[in-house]
Amino acid sequence: MSDAAKPNPAGSGDVPPAKKADESAAQKAAGSPQPAPAGTPATAAPAPAPEPKPKVPFSPVLLKHINEPNSHTLAHYAARGGYETARGHVGVTPPGDLIKLIDDSGLRGRGGAGFPTGKKWSFLAKGTGKPIYLAVNGDESEPGTFKDRYILERDPHQLVEGVILTCYAIGSKHAFIYLRGEFILGFQRLEAAVQEAKAKGYVGKKIFGQEVDLTITVVRGAGAYICGEETGMLSSIEGGRGYPKIKPPFPAVSGLFGSPTIVNNVETISAVTHIVKNGVAWHKQWGTEKSPGFKIFCLSGAVKKPGVYEVPLGITMREMIDTYGGGMKDGRTLKAVIPGGLSAPVLTPEMVDKCTLDYESLAALGSMLGSGGITVLDQQVDMISAIYNTMRFYHHDSCGQCTPCREGTGWLEKVAHRFHHNEGHQGDVELLGDIAKNMRGRTICVLADAAAMPMQSYLQHFKQDFVAKVKETAFVEKQRTYRDEITPTAKTITATGAGPSALDVGSNGSKQR
Amino acid sequence: MTIKEVKIKIDDKEVTVPSNWTVIKACHENGIEVPHYCYHPDLSIAGNCRICMVGVKGAPRPVVACAQPITENMEVTTKGKDIEEARKSVMEFMLINHPLDCPECDQAGECRLQDYSYDYGRDHGRFHEEKVVKSKATMGPHVKYWGSRCIVCTRCVRFTDEVSGTGDLGVIYRGDRSEIALFPGKTMDNPLSMNTVDICPVGALVSSDFLYQTRVWNLKSADSMCSDCAVGCNTRVDFDAKGTIKRIVPRRNDKVNKEWMCDYGRLSFPYAQENRLMKPLVDGRDAPYKDARKAALELLAKKSVVILVSAWNTNEAFAAVKEFAEMHLPGAGIAGYANPGRADEKFPGFTISGDKNPNRKGMQEILGIDAEVSLKELAADTARIGTLVMVHNIPGYAMTPELKAVLDRTESVILLDHAKSDLLKYGNVAVALPTLTTFEKAGTFVNKDGIAQVFQPAMEPANFGRSEAEMFQDFARELSAAAAVTGAVAKVKG
Repeated sequence: MSDAAKPNPAGSGDVPPAKKADESAAQKAAGSPQPAPAGTPATAAPAPAPEPKPKVPFSPVLLKHINEPNSHTLAHYAARGGYETARGHVGVTPPGDLIKLIDDSGLRGRGGAGFPTGKKWSFLAKGTGKPIYLAVNGDESEPGTFKDRYILERDPHQLVEGVILTCYAIGSKHAFIYLRGEFILGFQRLEAAVQEAKAKGYVGKKIFGQEVDLTITVVRGAGAYICGEETGMLSSIEGGRGYPKIKPPFPAVSGLFGSPTIVNNVETISAVTHIVKNGVAWHKQWGTEKSPGFKIFCLSGAVKKPGVYEVPLGITMREMIDTYGGGMKDGRTLKAVIPGGLSAPVLTPEMVDKCTLDYESLAALGSMLGSGGITVLDQQVDMISAIYNTMRFYHHDSCGQCTPCREGTGWLEKVAHRFHHNEGHQGDVELLGDIAKNMRGRTICVLADAAAMPMQSYLQHFKQDFVAKVKETAFVEKQRTYRDEITPTAKTITATGAGPSALDVGSNGSKQR
Repeated sequence: MTIKEVKIKIDDKEVTVPSNWTVIKACHENGIEVPHYCYHPDLSIAGNCRICMVGVKGAPRPVVACAQPITENMEVTTKGKDIEEARKSVMEFMLINHPLDCPECDQAGECRLQDYSYDYGRDHGRFHEEKVVKSKATMGPHVKYWGSRCIVCTRCVRFTDEVSGTGDLGVIYRGDRSEIALFPGKTMDNPLSMNTVDICPVGALVSSDFLYQTRVWNLKSADSMCSDCAVGCNTRVDFDAKGTIKRIVPRRNDKVNKEWMCDYGRLSFPYAQENRLMKPLVDGRDAPYKDARKAALELLAKKSVVILVSAWNTNEAFAAVKEFAEMHLPGAGIAGYANPGRADEKFPGFTISGDKNPNRKGMQEILGIDAEVSLKELAADTARIGTLVMVHNIPGYAMTPELKAVLDRTESVILLDHAKSDLLKYGNVAVALPTLTTFEKAGTFVNKDGIAQVFQPAMEPANFGRSEAEMFQDFARELSAAAAVTGAVAKVKG
């Protein structure tokens, strides 16, 4: 059974995006009476059109204090009631109740896959006799995503408190927080926060005076995108090459050092702090039925005010661009939007109009919410240049483990490079689609899909841009011409539209063997 | 998890397999072909080549058979359009950056890429870009690396991690630039290094010793057994058209050597074709068999005969010696000796025995003597030995003080050996009879774990030799004939 065939207990491969199948599995698993968004992206109206809930005013939660001076210190955090939630629950509330609370809150993984967090926690293998680990994914490397960075640099204590609560809930005595290697300030501030918490007795032996131990280890990556994939990250923490591991077994069964491991994103764990503090009803007052709560979005591209915006889920994409982003830059018109990090399939302006920012709406549009990195492209952007740049990224960052991804990402980049230099040949557009199709769903992790999905979506929505760069010659023809030139005695082959296969060339054309 | 037998269906064929198997193992054990590069039954699962895709009922798309655990009532399909397409796409990806250097590649003819190209290859390429060129390297004294041919299946990396435990190799760089490299300061000079050449499914890791020696399709092969140590690895010996041994590779035997073999054993074969004792020698001169046998029998008629057998001989030779001595030399002593041993070389997945004798156990079983103890006793004895029958057959034997002591008080020696060894330089070798190497004879060796293994001749003898067992049968036949004649004469006279 592939990982999409059954509910994926740890499917939120944090930075590379989830497959659509994960989303639907997650929706099924949630057991909601509402029918899943059906129909094709072209015909289906965005699911949350009838919004039953009254609009509740929202002010940022995770990012509320990031612009205050010394917001990263314990003194600042304690002054706003920091660690009181953890003190109130650790050793007091039964861990099962905390898991149930998070499950009831409907919190979904913020790393990219959107797998229900409480469900993931409940998949944890029990009674194995091995330690349980929590691994927090802070290897934020999806292009266009820069949300965890703000939490790490400006308000790391809410993450530490979230780690304390999560570890208590899942019964873990050791948490690893894996940071992207380039996050120097984030690392320094998080490490300092952990030390401050340790000095206060919030981390270490007998935390909060209870019979609960917790060690937090902050690990820095060495600059690999693939280490943001959850099992790639585990390999990296183990000290190995950041190769993703085969699933099953899922990390919740056999993860870090072969022990049951829960992997969650920085934003998810930070949100846990606030949900435990304020309760399920508080969390559910925002968002949609299947995507409750709030999320940080990273808005970049041709908008007036790019930046991080924490908003309730379910607002429209237009609202995000026009209200929060201040609209398009002067004189620019919207051409496309990449909604959830670079690997999310691109949206055309018509799709943007229909789009709301929640997991199910974007899934219905054939794209995904992903990590929340929204990149707005305007009419000045050459889509070929954009896809070439995208392919260059995935070629550079494929780990090289699985054949389709290792070879396919490079091939896609090379063909895209030719298009970029107006060197497309007859048949190349189909070739790109074919390569992308052959890469999808055939690898250990979803990086191959992450590379193939944007290519497929660009080909689908911006095919004319590709076609415009195609020359009149095909590669096979070009070779024949060359061969005819060097062997003047050979009978000239007239190339037909369909083109005989290369095997025919030898027997039909030149006498050379 | 308890292991139980579960029923599964592979291509409408119902089979029962243990629940801890993977789908690829279930297929292979039931004779169903599933292509694979990275999967190796004795290594951990990497699941990275992605060609072993099969269909599993209920799964939305093909899954890799090597990483797919068996579940009850699973329905597996190994054929079908989508599976074929998936495998074809993987083959295409494999080959886009692979150089077309089959004409000069050592692996050509036994290359998985070539094999599977027949089944899943395209008739023409769609890749018109520049290929990725990777580095070439010398990994160790016996192994070279051609990076561009590498498909990064990581079998070699897993081998050095799990079987040899030396951890010499790793993957460097990312994506399609990935290549295998030595860790800084390391050389792959462990005595298991050449197994990486065997398990490399393509021509990336090649043996420096076999490189450019011959094309593999010109080789003839025969099954044999390695006699270099007490493990008794099962081997396949490859000969060129002239019958010269070109290489030795391991043959699977899960009870003995799995699919591994040490470099010593692989490179041990030159002794079979160099410096051989071609014909019998009598007093250092070539002689016909008839004369040599006659001379030997005369020496055997002397008083105080000792038969000294090495632990390099077959069970059949031991039995022949025992029987011959019982029937024809009632007073003769039988002693044994062995190639001096050294410490075992232990690796996580393989042990090279320090006992450099293939059949010490067999000697114990049949002759009831321990090689070392018996030679010590003989050396300690001071009585003069009239004739010493030495059944030697140890290649590259270094004289031990004990054996020297024995030889020094021996009048004449009858030496049975396959090579013109240093023993011949001892003046007291009166008769030397050429014997056969392990490659040339049939026999039985009992390995260190007490497993008796029968082997057959892999090649025609390079000399005019005979096996030791046959020699003693010859002696016995002549002696019986002579006894019959003397008996008849005595009758007539009487």
